Amino acid sequence: MTDHDISHRSDNGQSETISAAAAHLPILELRGLEKQYLGTHALKPADLAFKAGEIHAIVGENGAGKSTLIKLLTGVIPRTAGEILLRGEPVALTTPLEAIQHGINAVHQEVVLCPHLTVAANIFLGEEHRRFGLLQHRHMVREAQKILDDLGFVLPAHVLLSDLTIGQQQLIATARAATRGARFLIFDEPTAYLTREEAAQLFALIRRLQKSGVTIVYISHRMEEVFELADRVSILRDGRLVGTRNIDDTNENELISLMINRSIEQIYHKVPFTFGKTILETQALSGSGFENISISVREGEIVGLYGLIGAGRSEFVTTIFGRHPKSSGKIFWDGKEVNIERERDAIKLGIALAPESRRDQGLCLSLPVSLNLNLPIYKQLSRNLLISHREESRHADSQISDLRIKTASRSASAASLSGGNQQKIVIGKWLNHGAKLFIFDEPTVGVDVGTKAEIYRLFSTLLQNGAGIILISSYLPEVYELADTLHVFRRGQMVASHPHKTVTHEDILTQALGSASADTDTHN
Amino acid sequence: MSLETKDVGPTPKRRFNVLFGLTLFALLLALWLVLGVSTDSFWTGNNIANLLRQGSMIAILAIGQTFVIITGGIDLSVGAIVGFTSVVVAWLLAHGFPVWAAILITLGIGVCIGLFHGFGIVRLGLPPFIITLATLTSLRGIGLLITNGATISIDNDPFTEFSRNDFAGIPNLFWMVVLVGIPAYIFLHHSRWGRYLFSVGSNAEASRLSGVNVKGTIYLAYTLSAVCASFVGLLLASRIGIGNATQAEGWELQAIASSVIGGTSLFGAVGSIHGPLLGAFILATINNGANLLNVNSFWQRVITGVLIIVIVYFDQLRRRQR
Repeated sequence: MTDHDISHRSDNGQSETISAAAAHLPILELRGLEKQYLGTHALKPADLAFKAGEIHAIVGENGAGKSTLIKLLTGVIPRTAGEILLRGEPVALTTPLEAIQHGINAVHQEVVLCPHLTVAANIFLGEEHRRFGLLQHRHMVREAQKILDDLGFVLPAHVLLSDLTIGQQQLIATARAATRGARFLIFDEPTAYLTREEAAQLFALIRRLQKSGVTIVYISHRMEEVFELADRVSILRDGRLVGTRNIDDTNENELISLMINRSIEQIYHKVPFTFGKTILETQALSGSGFENISISVREGEIVGLYGLIGAGRSEFVTTIFGRHPKSSGKIFWDGKEVNIERERDAIKLGIALAPESRRDQGLCLSLPVSLNLNLPIYKQLSRNLLISHREESRHADSQISDLRIKTASRSASAASLSGGNQQKIVIGKWLNHGAKLFIFDEPTVGVDVGTKAEIYRLFSTLLQNGAGIILISSYLPEVYELADTLHVFRRGQMVASHPHKTVTHEDILTQALGSASADTDTHN
Repeated sequence: MSLETKDVGPTPKRRFNVLFGLTLFALLLALWLVLGVSTDSFWTGNNIANLLRQGSMIAILAIGQTFVIITGGIDLSVGAIVGFTSVVVAWLLAHGFPVWAAILITLGIGVCIGLFHGFGIVRLGLPPFIITLATLTSLRGIGLLITNGATISIDNDPFTEFSRNDFAGIPNLFWMVVLVGIPAYIFLHHSRWGRYLFSVGSNAEASRLSGVNVKGTIYLAYTLSAVCASFVGLLLASRIGIGNATQAEGWELQAIASSVIGGTSLFGAVGSIHGPLLGAFILATINNGANLLNVNSFWQRVITGVLIIVIVYFDQLRRRQR
């Protein structure tokens, strides 16, 4: 993008207006707000008051309940219990439309607009200006341009949205919400895909909105943003609201420890095994999304890859698995260099992948549990070209009972199972395949603690049988407790490696976030 | 732990599937009964044989089409393949090829067409709708070019008599449905490739990551569909004794309709063999009955359309209730 599209207006009178506004009554109040999915608490009863005109940050790890909270506030999902008070009045907030009518809007991490329409058309989408039933294109472009100019950035209103960068699209999405008379605006990790300059522009816009009286909820796990923007910050952990702080009364360390500090329950069954020979080794492997990664996995070892979403971990392992081509570097299997061009090559070697997204990559949701469990091994189940139905059922049933998969029967569709049980299928289908290396990409996302413990026990069984594991997680305690070797990823690079539990959570988080202090040195 | 089963309903689903098959069968029987009562000529051997012949060719097309639809695709070219291969086999016979060679070559051409569809989808990345639409018009064109627009008549008696003859009192054409249907059933429900058709239709990415040869599966589905269509081309040439590229106009839609009436989901991953067969014979019965009742043939088309909406609506309803 060229410079003339963007105007920088980083002028803003910081906190004088804020303290005045912060003294106001709560605009939105949550009383005992709670959400359960299939008996699992996604959000435990929470009390929280948002003051009119404040910027309120919400921090927490993946799965801490942040997105549940947003969905409840924007009417996307119904709550299990509790009340939401808007200016002291209880509101139902059962549909997104109702939330919008109350002036509650959300700007998401990914832009949810129409890329093939113009900027102006997007801004007025659903509220087009018409005369005699006909669209007034020119009028709308003029109005949209006025809005954009007023908000303080020069973006052309007549171009297609897809011609803008993601960051500029994010600004348009914000402008759109602002023009809809939003009084309460929720940002869900809006900077995840933005460059620094784009983020700066967005922050300027957020402050302008705040000055005009809009209450902002800002969700992020980037500490530096929270301290730059927020007046107050609330911390979520495991679906529980663990505290709210004035930003001046807290610091990064306190927030991080509130986010992750937990009595480590007896869910991590870390049994140390003696390592055997090296199963897989990568040398300076590069590909799309990651660069120059060298790791090795031994028999009986869990290698953890930690980093934020988008740090290149998934790209790295899917390249090992043959899903994407590598651009340079080498992969060694059992000491010999191998060329893995497609998934089947990897599977033939003995690599199994339980991918990041159960629904998109892991399961054939509409099909029976048994088919999902047997999919990688139909060759073994076939005799004389035909499938032995008895073997098929027997294998599925034994997996269902061994892994304690809660399902009505083996012929129930995978979609009918809960997240944890679906995850057991994604993992379970590889157990009889004879794989040597298991790659688990975020294996416990959206999985309750009990199931987590079962999955970890399964890891031990695999290791005991001489397999190696690559464990990817954005959930620090998990990789921290389980990994024999922990590699930290940031923006496609491996920035640090640590043997089991040799550094603190805070160090690792700092390395992954790449904030101020440590700009990486690799020990190993 | 494993006893918490209240919120899932696979057993009802199973029952529903069987029920749906039975409903279709009951519908077919009901049609036959009503027509038997309301017309004198329906339950005559001649008419039944005629009905079976009419339904058979669409039924075979519908089986091939079902493989493709299960993978989440569509094959619009099958009608054109029927017309084209009728020309091919007529041309081959007219040029002195023995019958067995003409049949094998024609089926081989079907394989090539199917592989080409797979190539277009897998390699060129074209949507199935587009690539098969393109071959639909091209094949009709090529067929007309071969004959210069004319019709090639077939004067090979053993070849043409085949479709008129019976075996054990049942028309040979219907036996061909059995010949295709049984292996198709075994393939779809008792071989791993059948499972792969479903898994690719349900989630191609998950299948790929589970080691399924997704591209190969797509090639396979379109090849089977094209081979079924070229087989029907042979049967049609035998039945009408000519090769003409304009024959079988719109049969692709009848095949798709039969498949969908038979419970195949156009979203993929749902389908059977018996369903499309019943669907094809229901459509054939309606046409046959309408003829016997002297219903304007234009109305037959309207009735077919209404029937598709009604049956598929109830099928959707059944799925949503699950």
